[in-house]
Amino acid sequence: MNSHGTERIRKPLFTPGTYILLTLMGIGFSFGLTRMFAGLSAVTNLDNFFPWGIWIAVDVACGVALAAGGFTTAAFVEIFGKHKFKPLLRPAILTAWLGYAMVAIGLMFDLGRFWNIWRPLFNWQGNSGLFEVAMCVMAYLTVLTIEMSPSFLEGFKERIDQNKAGSKLLQHLEKPLLVIHRAVKVVLPIFILAGVVLSFMHQSSLGTIILIAPTKIHSLWFTPLLPLLFLMSAVMVGFPMVFIESLVASKVFGRISEMHLLEKMAKLVPWFIGLYGLVKFGDLVVRFNSIDFIGNPVYTITFVIEILAGVVLPFFLFTRSWVRRSRSLLFFSSLLVIFGLVLNRINVYLVAYDPPFATSKYFPSIGEIFFTVGMVATIMFLYRIVVTFFPVVQRCTCGECAARYKREEEQRKNALSTPWIRIIQGLALAMLLVFVLFYTFVHKQALAGTSSAFNWANKVTPVKNAPVELSPSPHLFRPEGYANLYMLDNEILNTATDFYEPVRFTHRTHDVVTDGNCGVCHHRFSMSEEDRIGENVKEFHMDFDVRIANAPCGSCHDMEDIYVQKCSTCHWLPGEPDDRNRLGLKGAYHQQCIGCHEGQPNAQRAPVDCLSCHHPYTPDHDALVQLSQDPDIQEVTSSCLSCHDSVGQDILHSAHWTWQGHSPSIRGHEHDVSLGRKTVFNNCSLAMGSDNVTCAQCHIGFGWNDEGFDFTDPQKIDCLVCHDTTQTYRKGKGGLPLESIDLVQVAASVGRPSRSNCGLCHFNSGGGANFKHGDLEPILADAPDDFDVHMGRYNLRCQDCHTTYQHHIAGESLASPAVEGRVQCVQCHGSAPHGISGMLSRHLDDHTRSVGCETCHIPFIAKETPTRVSVDFSRAGQDLAPEYDELGNSTYDKKIGSQKWAKNLIPEYLWYDGTREAHMIGDKIDPSDIVDLNRPLGERIDPSARIYPFKAHTAVQPFDTEQSTLVVLRFEESFWDHYDWNQAISEGMSRIGLEYSGSYDFVETRMYISIHHEVAPTRETLGCADCHSQSAVTCRRCHGQEMGEELPAHAYRIYPDAQKRMDFQKLGYQGDPALVGGRLYINPKR
Amino acid sequence: MNFTRRLFLKHTVAAGAGFFSIFKKKAHAQDHQPVTNELQVGCLVDTTLCIGCRQCEKACNLNNEMPKPEVPFTDKSVFREMRRPTENALTVVNEYVGNPSQDQPQRANTYTKVQCMHCLDPSCVSACIVGALTRTKDGAVVYNPVICLGCRYCMVACPFQIPAYEYEDALTPLVQKCEFCADFSQGTGADPSCAKACPTEAILFGKRTELLELARERISKRPDRYIDRIYGENEVGGTAWLYLAGRSLEEIDLLELPGDAPPRLTEKIQHTIFRFGAIPLAIYGALGAVMWHVNRKQDSEQDMEGDQNE
Repeated sequence: MNSHGTERIRKPLFTPGTYILLTLMGIGFSFGLTRMFAGLSAVTNLDNFFPWGIWIAVDVACGVALAAGGFTTAAFVEIFGKHKFKPLLRPAILTAWLGYAMVAIGLMFDLGRFWNIWRPLFNWQGNSGLFEVAMCVMAYLTVLTIEMSPSFLEGFKERIDQNKAGSKLLQHLEKPLLVIHRAVKVVLPIFILAGVVLSFMHQSSLGTIILIAPTKIHSLWFTPLLPLLFLMSAVMVGFPMVFIESLVASKVFGRISEMHLLEKMAKLVPWFIGLYGLVKFGDLVVRFNSIDFIGNPVYTITFVIEILAGVVLPFFLFTRSWVRRSRSLLFFSSLLVIFGLVLNRINVYLVAYDPPFATSKYFPSIGEIFFTVGMVATIMFLYRIVVTFFPVVQRCTCGECAARYKREEEQRKNALSTPWIRIIQGLALAMLLVFVLFYTFVHKQALAGTSSAFNWANKVTPVKNAPVELSPSPHLFRPEGYANLYMLDNEILNTATDFYEPVRFTHRTHDVVTDGNCGVCHHRFSMSEEDRIGENVKEFHMDFDVRIANAPCGSCHDMEDIYVQKCSTCHWLPGEPDDRNRLGLKGAYHQQCIGCHEGQPNAQRAPVDCLSCHHPYTPDHDALVQLSQDPDIQEVTSSCLSCHDSVGQDILHSAHWTWQGHSPSIRGHEHDVSLGRKTVFNNCSLAMGSDNVTCAQCHIGFGWNDEGFDFTDPQKIDCLVCHDTTQTYRKGKGGLPLESIDLVQVAASVGRPSRSNCGLCHFNSGGGANFKHGDLEPILADAPDDFDVHMGRYNLRCQDCHTTYQHHIAGESLASPAVEGRVQCVQCHGSAPHGISGMLSRHLDDHTRSVGCETCHIPFIAKETPTRVSVDFSRAGQDLAPEYDELGNSTYDKKIGSQKWAKNLIPEYLWYDGTREAHMIGDKIDPSDIVDLNRPLGERIDPSARIYPFKAHTAVQPFDTEQSTLVVLRFEESFWDHYDWNQAISEGMSRIGLEYSGSYDFVETRMYISIHHEVAPTRETLGCADCHSQSAVTCRRCHGQEMGEELPAHAYRIYPDAQKRMDFQKLGYQGDPALVGGRLYINPKR
Repeated sequence: MNFTRRLFLKHTVAAGAGFFSIFKKKAHAQDHQPVTNELQVGCLVDTTLCIGCRQCEKACNLNNEMPKPEVPFTDKSVFREMRRPTENALTVVNEYVGNPSQDQPQRANTYTKVQCMHCLDPSCVSACIVGALTRTKDGAVVYNPVICLGCRYCMVACPFQIPAYEYEDALTPLVQKCEFCADFSQGTGADPSCAKACPTEAILFGKRTELLELARERISKRPDRYIDRIYGENEVGGTAWLYLAGRSLEEIDLLELPGDAPPRLTEKIQHTIFRFGAIPLAIYGALGAVMWHVNRKQDSEQDMEGDQNE
């Protein structure tokens, strides 16, 4: 078939042109190399919205289309028998072959897992247009290689004949080369035909693949005809590509122009362009109404350019014979066609691609552009190499050469005898047949249900996390009493949220919020274990003409007796088959809680953020904390702060750190922000300031030995004292930890503070266990159930009530001015908390207007550890033997003086409106009377005041007789060394910078400490007659004769053996208010 | 020469016919219909119940062993910008100003969870060149990284813009998308981790048919809460994930999509062209015939010339 023959280009390979190409290749492939080492993100502008860039749109889509010169020319010459155009065929095939090879190489850079590029051979996916493209491209590349092989074989043969470099080696192959050449020749027609059909298939499929995204492609380009348009445009561009290639080659290589051939071929081009334009135009007309022509001007402009410059203009140019005859105009027109096609592919693949949610549009990066340029340069350079070493271009027609070529032709023809030719042809057909069979076999595997042909290509899917079998909880009724607090702790809830501690649901508060209407949450009830649907509470009551929203449930039901079933009786897993609409337990809780919380006006009381209800477990710090072998406390703090930096800053502003702060409840100092331990007196340890080293044992820092302590240095924070969970951490002088403590272990097991952490200071304030508070005893760290209902029965942490925000901890002590928030019973229990107490409930709720909760609910304090009630410092320093009382408490100590203690102490009761006085250092006193250091304020006629329990602590302490002020003295390193009052006082006073006249005397002072802890269980709270006279507690006086005389148990004295506790006269009443009437209402029948 | 070109061309045409007939079978085999059988699982997302707690994101992150994000899951500042699923977060929740429905006036924001919708007729599965993306018998669209080439055609194809890609990885990047926790749920019937974690049960896992009934029941029971539409029932041929909303779908970024699945068009084209290998075979045959005819004419001319020459 090679009747015309070809020859090599005999020009030097390395010219300025090829150097430029090599440079461009170098730049391009350096970007390619970067992609191989650093990933696509390093080189390209691709992202999740634009997964395809110009490496696909230009390198692949345009590359394939522009290689169409190969199959169009092959069809033109070989199939339609236009053999006189044969000189154009081999260059065209070569261009196509290089084009496809570059597509494959380019894909190696664009594919993320390029090493899997062979996979389509085994993993068939016939629905994918891209699979079609991949298979056809692979097949067509093979076909092109076969079509090109005669060139290479002839090139090698020539090398042997002319004894060029490598000919020695090739000589052994001379015979096989001839044979192969002949063999290829005899099977070539099958491949030429296959090549054309394969081209048709994948050129059109390149259009199909973009049709998978109809919603992302702009309507100007999106048409079901896209495959046809792609095929037609590829055919259209085939000849112009040959023209360009031929014109450039003849110019560059200085060879005879092939214009006479091109001119004739160009006559066909307007037909191709016209046909394409016609279909495109027809498609636009048919889809006219669904096209958005002017929505986006960018689309409109590129579309118009594509049509005008790429289709219409070249169409008219190619129809003119003067254009076809002119080299430059033919070149220009061909370029226009190519430009139109490239623009079309870029438009379809990139410009029209408009993904949803994308915030910016794709534009190729420098790397992408240079790589693409590099690929084009590579094609050109390889072309140059191939034509230099192998016969591709039309051969010389001189007689000498012609004779040589004729001789070679004969030689090749005789390489194979006819039987051999038959055998080879048979083998080629058999090969095809085997391929078809193989294809079918592989395909049958796919038919079996998977697209993978081989089992080893399938991944094994492990089954993890087998579901936990959960069965609904038994139909449990409430076992005992109406609880204040429920732990929402259930295996259902814990399956997914085991990062959190169980939620503490303050049932009583929510009861108050719903006005006692239990039906808001308990909306259904059932009477049998099997019935998990039950009856609607509301509808059930309607049957009796009762509207449950109108009155609290307690107004009819005795809540002590009523049974309410658990939420989990009905609510268990979501979407259970018997009632798919029934919520699961978790959903029921959350929808109920959040739905209601969101409607509440006070966002603080009804939080909706997760962490307000759920407290996350502290992660194990063992691996997180990196300390040296034997760290000091400073290193521990630095380690904490390295992660919790902002916490350090929070601490620096907290009252636990500064020991001062806002004092909104101190009369006369409501707006002060600097009152603190250093400015007020207490009579347990006198005043702070003179004995820092001792006092600092309870400071949450370390190294507070003198005035020089830096309160702005977070590195001095002692994190462990609050967050130690090993309960081994103890502080010594200056707040430093004791030597014996294993800091590494403590730091590794930090967690949320427990009661013992807080108790480390607060249980021991005033100098020892329960010295000061009376209601804060060490036993509370692990309290028995009934010792304190909060800390015992419900095991609450301190911070459950003393809510914390950025390490500011709510709570108020009468002994210390700084306040960071209030803790009140009503926060959880509501303002009418006695709603379930039957007959008494209204009377008890009435009491809450005048009586603090603690008054009735904390009948005694110091139930385990005695508390100090008085101290006489004036007796200190006498050389007397230590004395102890029957409980083993020191009643005389030379260092302190004489002390008195009490166990099971009945508190004192005073009116208290939340404000108080405070005795500042330097305040004048009246020595003739007992001096109140922090008297709670409030009186009977003040409606905001209520009666609260207090512990009174009295002391006899020194004062300056000249100035009439209380004085501080220095115990450590002073008084306890020499027991000289004068010297100790003057040292103490000078340390806090105050004058001391030199003469002192003693005065009695009194300090009140408010009582909030050790709340007794319901049955141990005070009865009516514990305060009121038994004769006053009667129903008939108000309710008339119809009421019987049978009183509830709590109407009598609960503690008949205790002394009478309430002195109503002292509180300002004329007598027992049960008889004479309360302060806010008058008993009508007193 | 005894060997005739004519004879060979006949063989050629026959061989070509055999070659291209494979397309017929292939087209037939892969021509699947959208499956809405009773095995099809799904999830019902009720946007009026979602509170934006991001627990689903956290559960997804943990279950799929994704890297820990810089911003913790409790941080709601991420809502300041619209997010899409990424290679490190297969599901994300977005916040939209305005109450989720008119009967929830107390709620200021609406939240919508985004993840793979697990289409009944998935574009990505149809697009994937090697079948790395497949539908399980339960209807979950799962990914097989072993055979993936990284061509990212699935990302082009997805109408919901879901698959994300590990562009940073030079050699072994993966396409990342929600796999319905199929690794964990396949054959066990367990909920996907996000549905399991959702505190308000805004995500309900179950059989799709039952979920659709459930959704319709909710809509009919509370017409003031829900708009009368189940998103995902018909979109692109139906999706396994269904959404209930109380406000305009566009406002909460649920795309308006056609009811036809995109693969129906492309697969129709593919299978029309290659059904029975008819069109390639016809072209092959026609071209072969032309070639045979033209060459016979030229051969006989040459032969005649040759005879004359001799």
